[in-house]
Amino acid sequence: MNERANAWRRRGVLAGLAAGAASLAAPSILRAAPSGTPVRVGGTLSLTGFLAQTAAIHKIAAEIMVNEINGRNGFLGRPVEYVLLDDQSKPEVARSLYEKLITVDKVDLIQGPYATAPILAAMGVAQRYGKVMIQSSMGIPKLQTYDRAFPATPFGPEPDKTYPNVILDAMASLPHPPKSILVLTSKFPSAQFMAKGMREQAEKRGLKVALYLEYESGNRDFGAIAARVKEADADFLWVGSLGLESNQLLEALHKLDYKPRNHFHLYPAPGPLALSPDGDKALCSTFLEPAEPFLSRPGVKRIAAEFKERATKANLPYAVIDAQAAGMVSEWQILEAAVNGANSLDDKVIADWLKKHRVETIYGSLRFDGPYNHGDAAQLIKQAQNKEWKVVWPKAFAAPGVTLMGT
Amino acid sequence: MTDLLVVTGLRAGYGRAVVLSDISFRLGAGEAMAVLGRNGVGKTTLVDSIVGVTRRFDGSLVLEGRELAPLAPEQRAALGLGWVPQERNIFRSLTVEENLTAVARPGPWTLDRLYGFFPRLKERRANSGGALSGGEQQMLAIARALATNPKLLLLDEPTEGLAPIIVEELLSALARLVRSEGLAALIVEQHAHKILPITRSTLILERGRIVHQGPSDELLAEPARLEKFLGVSAR
Amino acid sequence: MPSATLLGQALISGVLAGGMYGLLAMGLSLSWGLLRLVNLSHFALAFLSAYIVYELGTKYGVAPWWSAAMVVPLMFAVGASQYWLFDRFRVNELASLLITFSFAVIVEAGIQIYWTADYRRFETHYATESIKAGPFFIPVLDLTMCIVASVLAWGTWMWLRKTYVGKGLRAAAEDADIAAAYGVDHRKLAYILSGIGAAYAGIAGTFIALIATLAPAQIWAWLGVVFAVVIIGRLGNPMGALLAGMLIGASESLAMAVLSPAWAPVVSFSVLIVILLWDPEWL
Repeated sequence: MNERANAWRRRGVLAGLAAGAASLAAPSILRAAPSGTPVRVGGTLSLTGFLAQTAAIHKIAAEIMVNEINGRNGFLGRPVEYVLLDDQSKPEVARSLYEKLITVDKVDLIQGPYATAPILAAMGVAQRYGKVMIQSSMGIPKLQTYDRAFPATPFGPEPDKTYPNVILDAMASLPHPPKSILVLTSKFPSAQFMAKGMREQAEKRGLKVALYLEYESGNRDFGAIAARVKEADADFLWVGSLGLESNQLLEALHKLDYKPRNHFHLYPAPGPLALSPDGDKALCSTFLEPAEPFLSRPGVKRIAAEFKERATKANLPYAVIDAQAAGMVSEWQILEAAVNGANSLDDKVIADWLKKHRVETIYGSLRFDGPYNHGDAAQLIKQAQNKEWKVVWPKAFAAPGVTLMGT
Repeated sequence: MTDLLVVTGLRAGYGRAVVLSDISFRLGAGEAMAVLGRNGVGKTTLVDSIVGVTRRFDGSLVLEGRELAPLAPEQRAALGLGWVPQERNIFRSLTVEENLTAVARPGPWTLDRLYGFFPRLKERRANSGGALSGGEQQMLAIARALATNPKLLLLDEPTEGLAPIIVEELLSALARLVRSEGLAALIVEQHAHKILPITRSTLILERGRIVHQGPSDELLAEPARLEKFLGVSAR
Repeated sequence: MPSATLLGQALISGVLAGGMYGLLAMGLSLSWGLLRLVNLSHFALAFLSAYIVYELGTKYGVAPWWSAAMVVPLMFAVGASQYWLFDRFRVNELASLLITFSFAVIVEAGIQIYWTADYRRFETHYATESIKAGPFFIPVLDLTMCIVASVLAWGTWMWLRKTYVGKGLRAAAEDADIAAAYGVDHRKLAYILSGIGAAYAGIAGTFIALIATLAPAQIWAWLGVVFAVVIIGRLGNPMGALLAGMLIGASESLAMAVLSPAWAPVVSFSVLIVILLWDPEWL
C-alpha cells in the first residue's frame, strides 16, 4: 500500500510543521530568564498511528518540562526549544526523522521517542552520530546496547527477573496466596518479554502455571480467550496487555459470568481500567502515582497540576499524571541536570557526567552506572480501588490506610 | 402513413472515425425495414446511432416528432426504442425472468404474454442468463427488448451464429411480430433471402452510405439486382 | 484436548463476533459489487458513526437506538453525496480506492482532532449482559447485532432480487451501457445504493460503539479481515457477506480455543486462500 504510506508521510509533514510551530511559539513567551540562541532538542513521538494515544500524554509532559526549564536557567543559560516530529508509530519513519533532525535540522541534542521499536530505530541513528539519547519506555533493557543511551524510568537491568518477584511478593502477602497462575500475553515484544519472565519466576516459586497463552497484538475478539481463561480458572490472572485489551478481556469474562480472583495487567490504559466496573481490584505496575509520598518530591505537585490542566484542555479522558507522563518528565529532568551539571552540550561530556552522577527525578534518585546504563529497579504495584489507582506494594509506598486487597 | 422514425443527414461513428455519412430515411408506423449490406458497411453503426451509443457528428433522428440527438441512451429507451444488440448482451448473472422484469415497462407485453410467445423461456425462467444456449439467449434478448414495450424494435443480426433449426424458429417468431402484431422494426441482416419476405421495405448500405431504398418484395423479385449490391452473400 | 463447553462457547462467541465482520462487509460488498467502487472510507464512516453514538451517549445521555436513528440517515446522505463526487469525476474502480482512502484519512484526522487519539469506551450496562443457555453464555448485545445484521442481509438480498431498483442495479453492475440502453437509469439507482451502503456503516458503527474500543487508528484494524469476508462472500452479495463473516469469526474463535489465540489473524486469510483454491459449487 504505497499510496497509504505516502498519505501518511504527507500527514507527518503537516503534523511536524504544526508541532514545530507550536514548540517555537511556546518558549518564546517564557524566554525571560535564559537568553541567546536557543538550544534545540530534537525528537519524535508517535503523534499519529496506533501509539498515538500515549504520545499525546508524552507531548504534554514535554511541553510542561520545556516551559519549566526555560523558567529556570534553560540549558547553560540559553533557552530550550523542542523540535518535535511525528514518527507515525513506525520505526522506519522514526529512523529517518532522527537522521533528518541530526543532519538537516542540526539540532544540538536529541530526546528519545516512545515505545521499544521506535526507540531501537532512533538508537541506531544516535549511535552513528554519537548523540546522547535518553528514553523512558524501553521495556527490554538488554536491548539498550548503546553506551550513550540512558533510561529515564527505573526498570532496572533485568525487569523480567526483578519485576515478577515484586508482584509475587505482593501476592504471597495475601491471606490466601494464589497457588496457580494463568499467564496471558500480547505478542507485543516488551509484553511477551515480561510474560516469559513471569512464567519462569512463578514456576521457580512453586506456583502452578495453569495456562500460558499468547495472542496477536490488535486482537479484536476476546470471546474465545475468555472461555479458555474461565476453563483454566487459575487463582491469579496475569495479563500482558496493552491499551484497552484488558478492558476487552474483562468484559468478555463478564459475559461468561466469570470474575478473576486476582488479576494483574501489564500496560493497560489506566483511566478506562480503573473506571470500568470490571476493573475493580485490578493490579498494575507503576513507578509513580499523583499521591503521597510521591507528591512531596521536588516540583511534582506543580507539574501534576499543570499536567491536569493541559490534559483536560487537550480533551484527554484521563487527565492525571502517572508513570507514563512521568517518564517524559524524567527524560527532561535528566537532560537538564546532565547538560547543566557537565556544563557542556558535547554528547561525550554529557554521557560521561551521567555515568558518574545521580539525578534527582520525579521517580526519585536515579543512577546510570549499572548494566545497560540502568540503576536500581523501582517497580511498585498499584490497585484499582473504588475507581482510583492506589499504590499498595511495597508497603512503604502505600498511603496510610491503603492495603492490597485480594479475594 | 405517419412516420415513426425520420433520420436526416446522419453522420456518425466512433471516436474520431466517421462510419456513416449522409444517412436519410423514413420508417412508418408498423413498418418493418430490413437493413442489408456486406460486412463492415455500417449496419451495426446505424442501429447503435439510433440507440445512442455512437458519436453523432451531424444530422437528426426524430422519433414521433421528438429529436433524439441530445438524449442519453436511457432517455431514448424510455421513449420507446427496444434494442436487440448483435452480441445479445443479456445479463448473464440475472435469471431469465429477472432479465425481463429488470427492464420491464407497462404495456401490452406482459411477462405472461412474453412467455406465451417464447414458451422455451418460460421453461428456463429460473435459470441464469449465462446458462442459456445461443438460440435461447437470442430469444431472451428479443423478449427483453419487447418487455420494455417499445414502439420500434431494433434487431442487429438476430440469426447470426445460430443453428439452422433455431434460425427458422426465430424467423417465424419475427414474422409474427411484424405482421400479426404490427410492431415497427429495423432488422439488420447479412442474409437477404431470410429477411426480405418478412419486411416491407429495405435499406442497402455500402461504405457507410445508403445505395438503395425501396420495397422488399421488389428486391426479392429481382435477384440480379440484389446480387449486384450484396455479392454472394445474397444467397 | 479442549472441553466441549469450551469449544461450544468459542463457537458461539466466534459466530457472533463474525456478525460484525459481516455487517461491516455488507456495505463494502454492495458498493464494490454493484457500483464498482471500492469504498475504503466505509470503515471511517462506521467509526465516525461510532464516535457520534459515543458522544451522544456519554455527553447527553442519548440511548444508542436514538443515536442510531440520527446517525443512519446522516450516513445515507454522506453516502449519496460521495456518489455525487464519484459520478461527477467519473471515478473508476482503482481511483475509487485512492479517493476513498484519502477520505478515510481525512475522517481519521478529524476524529483525532475532536476526540483525540486516546482510547474511548462507551460503557453501558448491556455491554456485559448474557443469556445463559445450558453451560453456554450468549452475550445479549452481540446477539442483537447478529439479528440486526441477518435481517439487513436478508432484506437487502430480497430487495436486490425482487424490486425493480435491485434488479436494475444488478443489470447495470454487469453491463452499465446495455442496461442504460434498456432504460435503466443507473445513476439514480447508484445514489440510492451508495446511500444504503453508508447507512449500513452507520448501523455497524452503532454496534462498534457499544461493543468495541474506539481509537482513530482502529479504523484500519478491520480492513484486512473484512476484505477477506467481502471476497469469500462474493461481491454484491449481502447474504454471502454475512455468512462469510460468521464463518471467519467462528474459524478465528475455534483457532483461538484449540490452537493459540495468536493464530487468529492468520485464519481469515487462510480461509480465503482455501476457498479461492477450492472454489466450491455452493458459493
